[in-house]
Amino acid sequence: MDGELLSQTFVELTDTMVAGFDVIDFLHMLTDRSVQLLDVSAAGLLLADPRGELRVVAASSEAARLLELFQLQNDQGPCLDCFRSGKAVHVADLNDTAARWPRFGPAALRAGFAAVQALPMRLREHVVGALNLFRAGPGAFLPEDIRIGQAMADVATIGLLHERSMRRSDSLNEQLQTALNSRVVIEQAKGKLAERLGLDMDQAFKLLRDSARARNLLLSELAQAFVDGTDTLTASRFGQRQPGIAQVPGNRPGAG
Amino acid sequence: MTVSRSARVWGLVAAEAASRGREMSAADACVAAVEAVEVTGAWLSAADGAEMGHLLRVTDEVSEQLAELQLTLGEGPCSDAAAVGGPVLSSDLGDAEAVGCWPVFAPAARQAGAAAVFAFPLRIGAIRAGVMGMYRDRPGSLSDFQLGDALAFADTATMLMLDSADQAEGDRVAGSGPGGQPAELAIHRAEVDQATGMVTEQLGVGIAEAFVRLRAHAYAYDRRLGDLARDIVARRVRLSPDLDVPEDFPV
Repeated sequence: MDGELLSQTFVELTDTMVAGFDVIDFLHMLTDRSVQLLDVSAAGLLLADPRGELRVVAASSEAARLLELFQLQNDQGPCLDCFRSGKAVHVADLNDTAARWPRFGPAALRAGFAAVQALPMRLREHVVGALNLFRAGPGAFLPEDIRIGQAMADVATIGLLHERSMRRSDSLNEQLQTALNSRVVIEQAKGKLAERLGLDMDQAFKLLRDSARARNLLLSELAQAFVDGTDTLTASRFGQRQPGIAQVPGNRPGAG
Repeated sequence: MTVSRSARVWGLVAAEAASRGREMSAADACVAAVEAVEVTGAWLSAADGAEMGHLLRVTDEVSEQLAELQLTLGEGPCSDAAAVGGPVLSSDLGDAEAVGCWPVFAPAARQAGAAAVFAFPLRIGAIRAGVMGMYRDRPGSLSDFQLGDALAFADTATMLMLDSADQAEGDRVAGSGPGGQPAELAIHRAEVDQATGMVTEQLGVGIAEAFVRLRAHAYAYDRRLGDLARDIVARRVRLSPDLDVPEDFPV
């Protein structure tokens, strides 16, 4: 465990939870940091929508095979078990799970993962989702890593609610649905951008995210504007930040 | 569990349409929702770009007033829901939060007879079809189960609105699978959303039309939407603007 990276991570996380907070970008950063801090190969945050379906809102990689592994878990797998029980699920060796998860186990092994963990995202008595961690090599997860992992899951839950009151379950449901819809917008934007520029989905996502950060826009808003056609994703030439303003010719400072 | 809720809700909407002797439409989703979600009334507005547009259906006078009030005042849970892209659930229009958010709408709505309002944007990501609003004459939140149903009715209304916009084709194809059951309604797959985005570029159309064309293509070639989407994302299949026949389509 890299102590300095851990401290830096928590400073960064709390820094983001202020004005202009971008919850989608935050959740992505959390999955990236989980991979770096916890000796795992891939991480994903899944939220349950009120229909009872587990859906990915952020992942450390946009690789299709990884996303498929998350989606598979709507039928069976550690995330589903974790979500239903509200308890963490740890599997040190997926080779032992043939009986438990006859479809998920082999699929995860084929994707190159031998160990998996699911940590519950909880708000009081509500389980809202799970942090799903995959490792390439088999082996038990260290107690210290499990504690930090659970803390990351808890921070994700808090981040979802940010300034809203945690007491109203209505707020939680509103925020969950909004986050899930934002994810769909981002997927649509990825597809459009990947097709336009001949990129893979991972590259397309990074381009969107970097562009949003450079221009101080919310990732979901930029994705929406790009899909709508009101934003062409060109960064301002002069490096100035104009939040929410589409790149209309003649609108750039100093142009002409 | 997911499939059965979608199928059940679809069945309720189909029954509503059948009881009126007509084809399923988004208006039927609005009407059927009232009894299922246990609200007092509901209304449906189409989208006008990013704004709320014209009223398509109301189930009672109070619903009509609530819809009109929000259009007139330019504030309210429906416009917030449309702007934010997520539901706005106000279980008590008299509480500080509601009055703070909608200083004119909240008291006016209560005067009209509404104690709680729930607004659901009809959206699939960037695709905006409209907004569905519901009200109760008593304060209180929707239960988890009721909220799940409300969202399912909103999804159903969204699909029906997208399909009806494409009725020029003449066939009711994209919304239903065999036996009129909702095909793929319950399944949110990243590939479907990504493929929709890709198709906007491939066909040079907007996102709503891209989605309709994608589903029509799956239906016409008797393919599951998720499988077609996966092929498009993997670039094994591509929709073409000329003949709507994909290149390298595995026959």
